[in-house]
Amino acid sequence: MEILQKIFKDKFAKSAFIVLAFLYLIILFADFIAPYSSTYSNRDMSYAPPSKIYTITEEGKWSLPYTYNYIREYEPALMQTIYKQDRSKKYYIKPFVKGEKYKLLGIIPCDRHLFGVRNGGYIYPLGTDINGRDVFSRLLFGGRISMTIGFLSLFIVFPIGLLYGGISGYFGGILDTIMMRFAEAIMAIPSFYLLIILAAILPSGMTSIQRFCLIVVILALIGWAGFARVVRGMVLSIKNEEFVQAEKTMGASNLRIILKHILPQTTSYVIIAMTLSVPSYILAESGLSFLGLGIQQPDASWGNMLKEAQEFTNILYRPWLLTPGFLIFIAVLSFNLLGDAIRDFLDPKSQSK
Amino acid sequence: MKKALHIIFILCIVVVFGMLVIKKDTPENAFSENYLTETENITYPAQNKNITLDGVDYLQSQAPVGKFGGELVISTIGEGPKTFNPCNTKDATSSSMAGILYDGLLTTDARTGEVIPQLAKSFEIKGTDYIITLRKGLKWTDGVPITADDVIYTYKDIVFKGLGNTSARDSMMVRGKLPELVKIDDYTVKFTTPEPFAPFLRQLTYPIVPKHYFKPHSDQGDSVFGAFLNPNTPPTQIVSNGAFKLKEYVAAQRVVFERNPDYYKVNLKNEKLPYLDKLVYLIVGDTNNEILKFEAKEVDVLGLRGSNVARYKLKEPTSDYKIYNLGPDTGTLFLVINLNNRKNAEGKYYVSPVKQKWFRNRNFRNAVDWAVDRKGMVKNIAQGVAAPLFTAESMNSIYLNKSIKGHPQDKNVSKEFLNKAGFYLKNGILYDKDGNRVEFDLYTNAGSLDRESIGVMIKQDLEDLGMKVNFKPIEFNSLVNKLSNTNDWDMVIIGLTGSPLEPHDGKNVWTSSGPLHLFNQRPQNYKNDDRYSWEVELDNIFEEGALKLSFKERKPIYDRYQQIIYEEKPIIYLYSPTRITAIRKRFKNIFPSALSGLVYNLEEIYVGDDEEKTSLGGAK
Amino acid sequence: MEFWRYVAKRILQTIPLLIIVSLISFFIIRLSPIDPLAELKLNPSISQETLDKEIKRLNLDKPIYVQYFSWAKSFVKGDLGYTSAGEKVSSKLKERIPNTLLLTLVVIFMTWSVGIPLGIAAAYKKESSFDRMLTVIASIGMAIPSFFFAILMLIFAVKTSWFPVGGLTSYNFNDMSLLGKVIDISKHLILPSLVLFTISLSGLQRQMRANMLEVMDSDYIKFARAKGVSEFKVVFKHALRNAVNPMITLLGFEFAGLLSGAALTEYVFQYPGLGRLILEAVMKSDINLVMASLMMGTIMLIAGNLIADILLMITDPRLRTKG
Repeated sequence: MEILQKIFKDKFAKSAFIVLAFLYLIILFADFIAPYSSTYSNRDMSYAPPSKIYTITEEGKWSLPYTYNYIREYEPALMQTIYKQDRSKKYYIKPFVKGEKYKLLGIIPCDRHLFGVRNGGYIYPLGTDINGRDVFSRLLFGGRISMTIGFLSLFIVFPIGLLYGGISGYFGGILDTIMMRFAEAIMAIPSFYLLIILAAILPSGMTSIQRFCLIVVILALIGWAGFARVVRGMVLSIKNEEFVQAEKTMGASNLRIILKHILPQTTSYVIIAMTLSVPSYILAESGLSFLGLGIQQPDASWGNMLKEAQEFTNILYRPWLLTPGFLIFIAVLSFNLLGDAIRDFLDPKSQSK
Repeated sequence: MKKALHIIFILCIVVVFGMLVIKKDTPENAFSENYLTETENITYPAQNKNITLDGVDYLQSQAPVGKFGGELVISTIGEGPKTFNPCNTKDATSSSMAGILYDGLLTTDARTGEVIPQLAKSFEIKGTDYIITLRKGLKWTDGVPITADDVIYTYKDIVFKGLGNTSARDSMMVRGKLPELVKIDDYTVKFTTPEPFAPFLRQLTYPIVPKHYFKPHSDQGDSVFGAFLNPNTPPTQIVSNGAFKLKEYVAAQRVVFERNPDYYKVNLKNEKLPYLDKLVYLIVGDTNNEILKFEAKEVDVLGLRGSNVARYKLKEPTSDYKIYNLGPDTGTLFLVINLNNRKNAEGKYYVSPVKQKWFRNRNFRNAVDWAVDRKGMVKNIAQGVAAPLFTAESMNSIYLNKSIKGHPQDKNVSKEFLNKAGFYLKNGILYDKDGNRVEFDLYTNAGSLDRESIGVMIKQDLEDLGMKVNFKPIEFNSLVNKLSNTNDWDMVIIGLTGSPLEPHDGKNVWTSSGPLHLFNQRPQNYKNDDRYSWEVELDNIFEEGALKLSFKERKPIYDRYQQIIYEEKPIIYLYSPTRITAIRKRFKNIFPSALSGLVYNLEEIYVGDDEEKTSLGGAK
Repeated sequence: MEFWRYVAKRILQTIPLLIIVSLISFFIIRLSPIDPLAELKLNPSISQETLDKEIKRLNLDKPIYVQYFSWAKSFVKGDLGYTSAGEKVSSKLKERIPNTLLLTLVVIFMTWSVGIPLGIAAAYKKESSFDRMLTVIASIGMAIPSFFFAILMLIFAVKTSWFPVGGLTSYNFNDMSLLGKVIDISKHLILPSLVLFTISLSGLQRQMRANMLEVMDSDYIKFARAKGVSEFKVVFKHALRNAVNPMITLLGFEFAGLLSGAALTEYVFQYPGLGRLILEAVMKSDINLVMASLMMGTIMLIAGNLIADILLMITDPRLRTKG
């Protein structure tokens, strides 16, 4: 709580915190906020531009927000697909419209969406992708994967790293040497290649959820060694402190000492490392997706959506496809700023990267 | 002061937000300009002629006379050539590079697809005898004359012995027997095939290599020969006979060729070709990079696809390039279904018996076929620059069975087929007649936007029928491992390259024992005869088709094979992209060909005057 | 004498490390379902016989441990073997190493000459708005996915035509004068090094800031200040020397880190460096090439650390006795 108070005193940390809280809130309620599901697709609207929303009519009068549908035409001489507005019918944007069924928070069955249009209209606030899927909706669903993948990996990295580093540092001697040589070997393999090799090994018969989990595990597998080493260093210095020695003479078990006394001392480092390493996982996922090894279609992640955007003509003519890149940027930036601030509060002299 | 700043900041946000929300409805000026691209009539030059000057048998190009000098920069996607040894190439880039360096006895006419003389002055077929007469006075780049000995060496010591890539030997075998080859005199050789064998003539396009340069290496066996002429060979050492010789190879960046001053082709003024001083291949990693390089004018030729076409088409009138439509692509893109009913070495079925019952049922495959939305794929994924495909031969194949018309997507037909096969729907879920839920995996190679999007469409369409499709894009090399080794897949979306001229090249795919018989892959040396009757028929067709010599006799045979595939649907063809290629206007003697593309006649292409491109109305 | 014994000990220590690294990577790669011959197998015109020949040549028909030992045997002998396409691994690496070194050195030079002063300045004006701005700017550089930044840079190059689109040299490089060659290479280097610079700048700046803060807080700096030494002298003579020492250790890591961190950037820019080579090799499971590069990366990492330690011993006499 103290940390929170401090965060709110700092301008950058405050805005970063608010942005992140906002992002997580949105992805939590993605089903409700998104007008469509992540699998919805409209075959006739591939690469449709964002729907234009109007609040002043042609005659210059105020109106409730409305939009028009697009009609796709093909120009054979130019081999070009053109989208025109179908101005014959206005579709008013209504709150809480009925749409595809979903389960709110995974439990409550529901079919209302935050906003939408009725009677055969469509609304694509950020246009559509090649399969005619709503980019806005997929961004929200993709955020679920991209924004949680890092945290989930950390939940694997930290127990392993803490335990490994703790044991190695506490017992020392030959065990320490062997364990550290192994960790160093893992660190010596350039992590990016290790990541690629591991991602390519993934058994191909997996469902998308399994694949997601395994990518989490892989990201964790390359992260733990460095973390374990730092923990070991900290344990080495803590274990010689008086209270630990005292506990030892009182006959406490080794495990108890590690878990109860030594590891809690590393908390502040853990918190810093956590906030500072989440962004690297988000970036790693996008890098994997760029190579076609990350989260796969038809699931959305910001990384695989950005991959679609990177073609030259898409960047020039379909800028709405770049929005996942923008969100990655915002999320990573916020995590970095927040992590920096937290580090300053907890441990101003820290040299952790 | 600080408060004031805060208020201004908040006001700014409100204004920006307001501007986003409040928007006046004004009709857009819809793009309505009419671009009518002039269709230029291209007059193709007549066939090359033989002409003898000072005792040298030249080949005379009939294309308009051009200017000497200049350079052409082309791109090649991938990692660049792996070898310059034409007898050891195993990938497309290497063989096209080696193909520039080494000419064969015969070659393929770029437009008609006929086999025409190249290093050979003429050829004559008498039954199973092929008598080839070489041009006189031709030289290797080191000045040594090209004679019948080189031909004999190339075929007897390399091809027939199976050095390097043995695929050529494989294609020349007729029922396990190789043709005979004898030297008649220094400039004449005779091949004799054990039986009449139609594809044989085309095999004589195999590059001829210099005996005096290759022999010391080929004599040391396959491993030495395999490393011979690797990309690090100093370019000046390479002895070749093609229109261009190697000047420079820079790893992962480019291959530069320079004019061979001693080439045997001349223009109408009897000046020695080629025109270009330099031919540069830039090695680019992917299409995106290629496009950027074209935009930056670093590359002169660009293959366009799908959504890119519109941009270049639109800008063409004001640009320095011209766009050619080369018609359908030579490759095929398809959905293949695994009909395998065998067990692997551990006694486990490759495909579970429940699924076997579905996949081996023709009605099921028909249902899948009718549910596939080819039109949607063409519209969305290829952005209209493609055509639906229904045949096993690519659409520009001269053996295309035009009577196969295809059909539109119709899920009701699919449902009928499923009913016929005993499948039934319950609560929107499809079950087979034994009550098993229909669920299977659909693979494709990850990283290809096109194929992933196709997969998403097929998944949706099949799920509309009540099936459950687990769509799984996986890494390309792992996918091929599945297809060719482990066989544990249900359906795969993938493409194959093909030859528009010789259907027999597809024998590895269509014959039941072929190494690429994807849909019913048998292990090597498989003894059991568990072929479908139509697989037997395919085997016969590929044997019979090769033994017939004339196009007229062969056409109905290969029509039949396409008909069988269309009826049995082990492979469901999807669409065929249209090849659109852009090239800078300053290059002349460009004769687009549906079979060979745009820049196949490298020796005839020249750089025209720069004025010509700007003076639009000027008389020639 | 003491010194050489230390170096020898360090070098001996790397042997078990190399063995573990090679074992881990070899088995992971070989257990993956990637087929190194995929492209050949999917080519309808390649005969079964050619395939069999290739399988035999690449030892794919033997059990994994046999493959490993035959690899290890030739590696110890100094033979790196052939790639799956049949080229010599050693010559492939030889082509690429100078390019990678060039890029790495340029990037390290850029980050150090900008990152260190910025780090000092930020530490000196600790918690001022200047310090905060620097942090934010550095964080921005770190927040863009490298490949995406690289693509945007390429499009920038196309639109302005100020820079060439990727690669290292123009196609007519060999016909240029010496000066022309230098200009050509520098033009090609600007964008990729800018991307890598942006990404690695913030880490360095932060590290320097942290070091500097720690040193400035130490007793002897306080003492120097109390003695009335000029502020300039305090910062540049006393604090800086001690703050830079730990950075030298970092240099070793950075050197090896750029090897892998640059892979995507090299790939997008089509830069003919090691990163791209390894990336392509890994994707195709080209085992000899991957193993050779990983081994080299490890050796480079160890060498970098060793050099950094030796440098430290030279610059910091206190450490000399510790060994």
